[in-house]
Amino acid sequence: MGKLLVDAVRCKGHGICALIAPRLIDLDDWGFPVLLASPDYDPEQSKLAKRAVAACPEQALRLVTEVGP
Amino acid sequence: MSGVHTDLLSLTNPQTPVVPDELASNPDQLLAGVGEAGSRILAGPKAVAGMESLVDHLDRLGPLPGLGDAAHIRRVVEESGLQGRGGAGFPAAVKMRTVAARGGSPLVVVNGSESEPASHKDRTLMALRPHLVLDGAVVAAEAVNADQVIIHVHRESRSAITSLKNAVQERRRARLTEPRMDISYGPSRYVAGESSAIIHFLEDGDARPLTDRRAARAGIHGRPTLLHNAETMGHLALIARRGPWWFRLAGTSGAAGSTLVTLAGATPPGPRVFEVGGAVTVGQLLTDRAGLDAPPRAVLLGGYAGRWVDGRDAWDQPLARDQLLARGLSLGCGLLGILPWEACGLAETARLLGYLASESAGQCGPCIFGLPRLAEGMSELAFGRVSRRDVRQLLRRSATFADRGACHHPDGAALLLQYALAVFADDVERHIRRGPCDRKSHLPTFRVPTPSGAGWR
Ligand SMILES: Cc1cc2nc3c(=O)[nH]c(=O)nc-3n(C[C@H](O)[C@H](O)[C@H](O)COP(=O)(O)O)c2cc1C
Ligand code: SF4
Repeated sequence: MGKLLVDAVRCKGHGICALIAPRLIDLDDWGFPVLLASPDYDPEQSKLAKRAVAACPEQALRLVTEVGP
Repeated sequence: MSGVHTDLLSLTNPQTPVVPDELASNPDQLLAGVGEAGSRILAGPKAVAGMESLVDHLDRLGPLPGLGDAAHIRRVVEESGLQGRGGAGFPAAVKMRTVAARGGSPLVVVNGSESEPASHKDRTLMALRPHLVLDGAVVAAEAVNADQVIIHVHRESRSAITSLKNAVQERRRARLTEPRMDISYGPSRYVAGESSAIIHFLEDGDARPLTDRRAARAGIHGRPTLLHNAETMGHLALIARRGPWWFRLAGTSGAAGSTLVTLAGATPPGPRVFEVGGAVTVGQLLTDRAGLDAPPRAVLLGGYAGRWVDGRDAWDQPLARDQLLARGLSLGCGLLGILPWEACGLAETARLLGYLASESAGQCGPCIFGLPRLAEGMSELAFGRVSRRDVRQLLRRSATFADRGACHHPDGAALLLQYALAVFADDVERHIRRGPCDRKSHLPTFRVPTPSGAGWR
């Protein structure tokens, strides 16, 4: 459950997240993530999202349940 | 037009006293320069008189009235419908409520950066009417129970700095009972005017936008921070004195109050900052104040990271924020740039994108790699040879920029490019077929600052 967020300053464009969760994350021409969708309530995608978050070497990816302004 | 008027009257709250002659003189259309008849936030002495002193300011407007407790002030601001004049147009009362709800020991920041190179409205206001801006900051402070105000400006804004320093001193000498006021001087960089960049600077001396929006929300050293644009503060000072309905009446039913605009690009010499309100259109502004009698090639709306509009489509467009929004447009920081028929919109856009790319804070991938590529692509289109495929690729690339940086700098640049490709579609077609046009040699209409190389501290 939740919404993916990329910390654009931390992200160094490793691209691992897109390999793990290709339906949620695409890469731009320079290898930086473009969010396609949020896992929301899809349990399969939620699992992948969590795995992508854990795999990011820069800890630049977060999964949050609520975003403020 | 009379429709706008009656709409507004029906909003009048019976509990709020309205001075009759204020009502009688309220404008369906407001278009005025500094010190001209009909002006509101620009009312007072003419620009040649320079800064309005504290004595003159109080003579003209009287002291700030006591408005009661913080909750009451926030209600007044809410009734006024005031939206921030820094670019995003966020309702001021909502921001105040959020800050107030956090308790603690809040502080107020006046964003006087005005980092848009061609914009002058904030600097004009700070230089000529510093006490209006400072009064507004006092009202903002009272609305959230803050005991400190920081006025943040870019180091190069000389006349604004001189006036603000003078004004703060005058107030100290007059022993006004009000929050402590300090001026902060930051580096003159484009993205350094963004709110989280200012919070970062005030906390750590680094004027790059903060990546973590939670940190920005947490404020300076954990103190809830209410940050408003300098013009927004000026309006607060008048709302406090004349009431929320007086303010509303200068706007439309969907966009409260008057707004400052700066003319840029192909403008005649003379004043460039004007106050507009009601149903004034782009065409009226350009006829009256830029000496045009027919639509220009295009208008650049909202800033250097703004949007292009075909001059003929823009001509009858009211400047009211709600009516711009209805067409997907925005007044942004109030910049209205004129592109003459002799100029090449593609070449102008290429130069603007080059500037925006050079002003990246270099923190985020999309901004570091993406912006220079967009600028290059636009340059190739304007000055070199490109295929239809190249243009499609450029457009496709630009579409991946939305909401990905720590700040909205890349978004703005990408939108500028997309609007250029749409508004100058004929030129794009011609450039693809025959290469660059001879208009490209036309001197730049929109001047971009040479990269200052200024750091972020
Ligand atoms: C790249 C960038 C630059 C900005 N520069 C300025 C600026 O120079 N002055 C300003 O008032 N707001 C600027 N803003 C908007 C501020 O972040 C903020 O929204 C505004 O100051 C809030 O004031 P308001 O609520 O009164 O509009 C900028 C925003 C971005 C994304
Ligand atoms: S998006 Fe660009 S300008 Fe904004 S913080 Fe990131 S690198 Fe800096």
